[in-house]
Amino acid sequence: MLFVAVVILLSPSAAPAQKSAAPKRILVLHWYGRDWPANSETEQNIQSVFQSAPDGNVESYPEYLQADRFPGDDQAAILCDYLRKKYAQRPIDVLLAIGDTPLQFLLKYRHDLFQNVPIVFIGVKAPTGKELMAGPGATGIVYTFGYKQTLDLALKLHPATEHVFIVSGTLNHDKTYEEMGREKLHGYESRVSITYLTDLSPKELVDRTKSLPERSLILYVWQQVFDEQNKLLETRDVLRLMAASARVPVYGMASWQVGIGVIGGYVRFNTGAIAKVAEIALQIANGEQVRNIPVESAAIAPMFDWHELQRWGISEDLLPRGSIVSAKEPGFWEQYYGRIISALGLLGIQTLFIAALLVERRRRQRAKKALDQLNAVLEQRVEERTAALDAKAKELETFTYSVAHDLKAPLRGIDGYSRLLLEHYLPRLEEEGRHLLFAVRASTERMSQLIDDLLSYSRLERRALACEPLELRPFVEALVEEQRPELEEHQIQLTLQVNGRSVMADAEGLTQAFRNYLDNAIKFSRQTAEPRIEIGAAETEQSCRLWVRDNGIGFDMKYHDRIFEIFHRLHRLEDYPGTGIGLAIVRKAMERMGGRAWAESAVGQGATFYLEIPKAHH
Amino acid sequence: MYFLASPILIVEDDPVDLDLTQRAFAMGRLANPIEVARDGEEALDFIPRWEAGEPLPAVILLDLKLPKVSGLEVLHQIKSHPRLSVIPVIILTASSEDRDIQDAYRLGGNSYITKPVDFEKFVEIAAQIEIYWCVLNTPPRQP
Repeated sequence: MLFVAVVILLSPSAAPAQKSAAPKRILVLHWYGRDWPANSETEQNIQSVFQSAPDGNVESYPEYLQADRFPGDDQAAILCDYLRKKYAQRPIDVLLAIGDTPLQFLLKYRHDLFQNVPIVFIGVKAPTGKELMAGPGATGIVYTFGYKQTLDLALKLHPATEHVFIVSGTLNHDKTYEEMGREKLHGYESRVSITYLTDLSPKELVDRTKSLPERSLILYVWQQVFDEQNKLLETRDVLRLMAASARVPVYGMASWQVGIGVIGGYVRFNTGAIAKVAEIALQIANGEQVRNIPVESAAIAPMFDWHELQRWGISEDLLPRGSIVSAKEPGFWEQYYGRIISALGLLGIQTLFIAALLVERRRRQRAKKALDQLNAVLEQRVEERTAALDAKAKELETFTYSVAHDLKAPLRGIDGYSRLLLEHYLPRLEEEGRHLLFAVRASTERMSQLIDDLLSYSRLERRALACEPLELRPFVEALVEEQRPELEEHQIQLTLQVNGRSVMADAEGLTQAFRNYLDNAIKFSRQTAEPRIEIGAAETEQSCRLWVRDNGIGFDMKYHDRIFEIFHRLHRLEDYPGTGIGLAIVRKAMERMGGRAWAESAVGQGATFYLEIPKAHH
Repeated sequence: MYFLASPILIVEDDPVDLDLTQRAFAMGRLANPIEVARDGEEALDFIPRWEAGEPLPAVILLDLKLPKVSGLEVLHQIKSHPRLSVIPVIILTASSEDRDIQDAYRLGGNSYITKPVDFEKFVEIAAQIEIYWCVLNTPPRQP
């Protein structure tokens, strides 16, 4: 890979004059063609550095030696001629050589092509001091091959290793890597046997590596090779091919190898190194002096393929501190950390809920038990009390009944004898005696009325309710008819307007209620100048309202509730006789059939007494 | 109406009621003899006498509330008797209770009259009882 070129000098004075205004031109020289995978990656990498340059304004001119397709000095000379003509009007500020071959080309032809243009390089072999100092100088980065470090590491991880096989190869069979290995691993032969598998054909390589003895390991460096069909296998292809069949651990020294077959090793990072070298080119383009930037070795670091570690059962604990473990599959814990925490959280909450519910249930059960016991006790008490009350009620009933009847017997005596006295002895009595006798008769009558009303009231309680549909009009008419003589006697004008109303009522109770209303209306209106009684009815949704309105003396509404109480009277007996039981009977009778009784009035304004009776549903 | 010698039997324990009843009947125009039983037992004592051939009463006025044997029991005895059940029995009582009325008719009572407090009314009732049961009504023939 030697090239010959003719160089045309550019005017060195032109460059400084344009330094501030003109863009910085960096020519990047690649090894193979544009389509070589490594080249496109490298180019992208460089461009991203150039584009992110703080003061921008950088023009890059990628050129390709295409040494693979156009080998030989003649081709190099042609290219040199081409470049010279091409860049005659485009002064270049920095030359960037990617790889050893482009560097050699530039070192060789710089004087003819780009005189006074500094070189920035990245490569495997460091240029000699003389080469670095020549012309405007050169600086850059030399790839580090961590033979020693990687082998130390591999031997530590595989302490029983006896044989080490080092795989490398170049298309020109220069044994670069074998030599580098021999140099770097000098002294290791006493510990392990080291075999160099250099420049083997793919078939030979696979045959060898798949049948290596036990306690062997492979260190893969770098190999390009043509297969039997004369097809070029790049270094990645060779590694993949070999790793697929190798039965022993494979170590490597470049980051790109991790993930395609090696367990790991102290590796160089091409991407990082190229970015670094692009930055150096940028610095120099912007005026930095080459001599201020020393040649550096690219950094290496321990890096491993998690899958390979698993495959060989190598614990991560054994790896050097700061190791990069790539393609690491997260553990169950790492992978599901969030979910596990959530699930545990939910589980915890659920547990709390369940616990709370259990506690609650227990409390409930206890409470229920206590409640049941209490209920039982209460039920028993209620039964006892009910029985006691029933007995009392019965007793009271009997009492009322007996009292009423027993009171009647002597009353009959008083009435009978006073009557006989009146009939047979009246003429013989003086005025005072007659007066007293009449007083006895009046008291007797009143007593009799009281007892009768009390019996009615008491019977109302004891009587079974018999609600049935009832036509209001004939019912009311019949009751009015009963009172006809009374009405006529007092010349009371009566209007009756109760048309076609049908109710659901206990006939006897309603009779008692209505009779009381009518009696009262007569009683309290008969002393009015033109006594009037109006009987009417109206329907509401659920019930029928029957009223008896008079134009009598009325009452103060503040007594409304009291007049419906038993034995309550508003008037003096001599003015308006009565027992004070009538309205109590009305209210009780109505309540028993699910109705209501109330009144509206004002003193001297007459009164309206209402009955609300449930409607009959057909 | 001289031949109407059939007596009226009054079964009544209350002396006042008895006296008033007797007076009420006395005030009537008819003059049937009045016989009296002062309690249930005395009333039942009549049964063997009637069985022995004594003339049956035209009507019995029976109070329900009686000492010793109740009025209803007396009624039951008479009305379940093969020969004496024909005697008209009028319940004359202070009670106007449905239960008493029902019981009285169920046991064969012929009439039920509530004693009024008003003596005037009672006199009227007595007169009507006499007219109805002793004049208008034809009693069963003595077997």
